[in-house]
Order: sequence, then C-alpha cells, then structure tokens
Amino acid sequence: MRLTQALLSRSVWKGPHIVPLPIGQALKTGSPIRTNARSCTILPQFVGVKFQVHNGKEYVAFEVTEDMVGSKLGEFSPTRKRFSYTQTKNK
Amino acid sequence: MAITINGKAFRAKELVTFYGLTHHDVSKICSKLGFYPAMRVHQLNEQQILGITKELADLTIEADKRAIIRANIALKRSTGSYAGMRHALGLPVRGQRTKTNAKTARRLNRIERRGFATDARAAQGVNAIEQLNQHLQGGVFGGFKNFVKALF
Repeated sequence: MRLTQALLSRSVWKGPHIVPLPIGQALKTGSPIRTNARSCTILPQFVGVKFQVHNGKEYVAFEVTEDMVGSKLGEFSPTRKRFSYTQTKNK
Repeated sequence: MAITINGKAFRAKELVTFYGLTHHDVSKICSKLGFYPAMRVHQLNEQQILGITKELADLTIEADKRAIIRANIALKRSTGSYAGMRHALGLPVRGQRTKTNAKTARRLNRIERRGFATDARAAQGVNAIEQLNQHLQGGVFGGFKNFVKALF
C-alpha cells in the first residue's frame, strides 16, 4: 500500500547510486576490493565479492551476501566505537 | 478473537488496540460492514461481530505481525548492518540524537523486540471493567451501575 516509502530515498529515474568498482576482476580472482566509496549501493552482481570498506580509520572486511543487496557498503563498516570508561588515560 | 466480543467497553473504532491494526484498517472494516466507528461493541448485533472477527482473521495482526517485525530485525542483525547493530544496542536506528532522549529506542529496540504492550493494555481494560461490574453488583453503588455502564 505504501509504495512511496521505499522510493522516498531516491528518484527512480536516477537508478541506484553506482560507483565504478572492479567487480568482474574481483569475482574472477577472489581478491577483496579495497574502497572508500561507502555510499555505493550494493547491487545483485556484488553477491559473493569480498570488500574492505573504509570507516575513517581502517578498512573493515566483509563478504556481500544476498540479504545485503539494496543497502550501501558503508552500512557494514561501523564508524563509531562504543564508549567504554577507563580509569587511567595511559592505556 | 475473543477480545472483540469480551471487550464490550470498546468502541468499534478502538479495535486499533490490536497490534498491527491501523485506524485506516478499522475505518475500512467499519464501512465494509456498514456501521459507524463510534458505535460500541455491545450495540452491534451478533452478525456484525462475526463480520469483524472474519475481517480480522484475514489480516496479519498481533502475533503474526510481531513475528514479521522480529524477523526483519533479525535479518538486519544477521547481515551485520549498522541498523541491526543499533537494534542490538538499544539505541535509535535512524540517526536520532542519543545525548538525551532516545527513550522510545531504549524501550523498544532489542534483538527480540517485544513491541508495544497492546495485549496487556487490552487485557487490563477488560479486567478493569469486569472488576468494576463485580464491585457494582455488591449493591452499594447499585444506582451507579447504569450510570457507569452508560459511560463505557
């Protein structure tokens, strides 16, 4: 009933946000793709490809599964660390 | 769907106490069966109540709806996404502030989300009315009985 909700994020005529990445090459060799493009939409073609996505500090590694299709690469590379209290600063 | 029939105090439009049923659904049911949403359940005849139960049987509400929502959260969690992580931490999922507030998220966001306490509320309402009726049958407030009935 609420079809618009899914579309509200981005105009349909634009299509998904595509970033040129060496997908074919990675599928052949099985080597991970190291990228900073967190906003790249995960397409069905990406399934099975290993990624290393930058979180501002390091490259977080994960493999794309079918359930991830439609979300962005950055969603799987958390940028914040949870606060944990330490008594001394020299740690 | 015993709640509909037992809950004589509810107005038809307050069927929304069922988890997953929207005002829109309720008004649709009411117009389909041909009665006003403001009508009380005890004013409806047997056939109309049966009609309501039949309509409700076709919709995904209560346990089914909760199961769907739980499955959606579990999927996000299993993919290792940010949204799933926020659910697990009991924090807002969509970029809301967390320095203050975030009360709804703290109440609701779990891996095993419990959902709103509509069951309890509906049950409570029914119990309260039963208790009141029993109390009134004591005779002390005998005159009040009809008055209170009219209120509900």
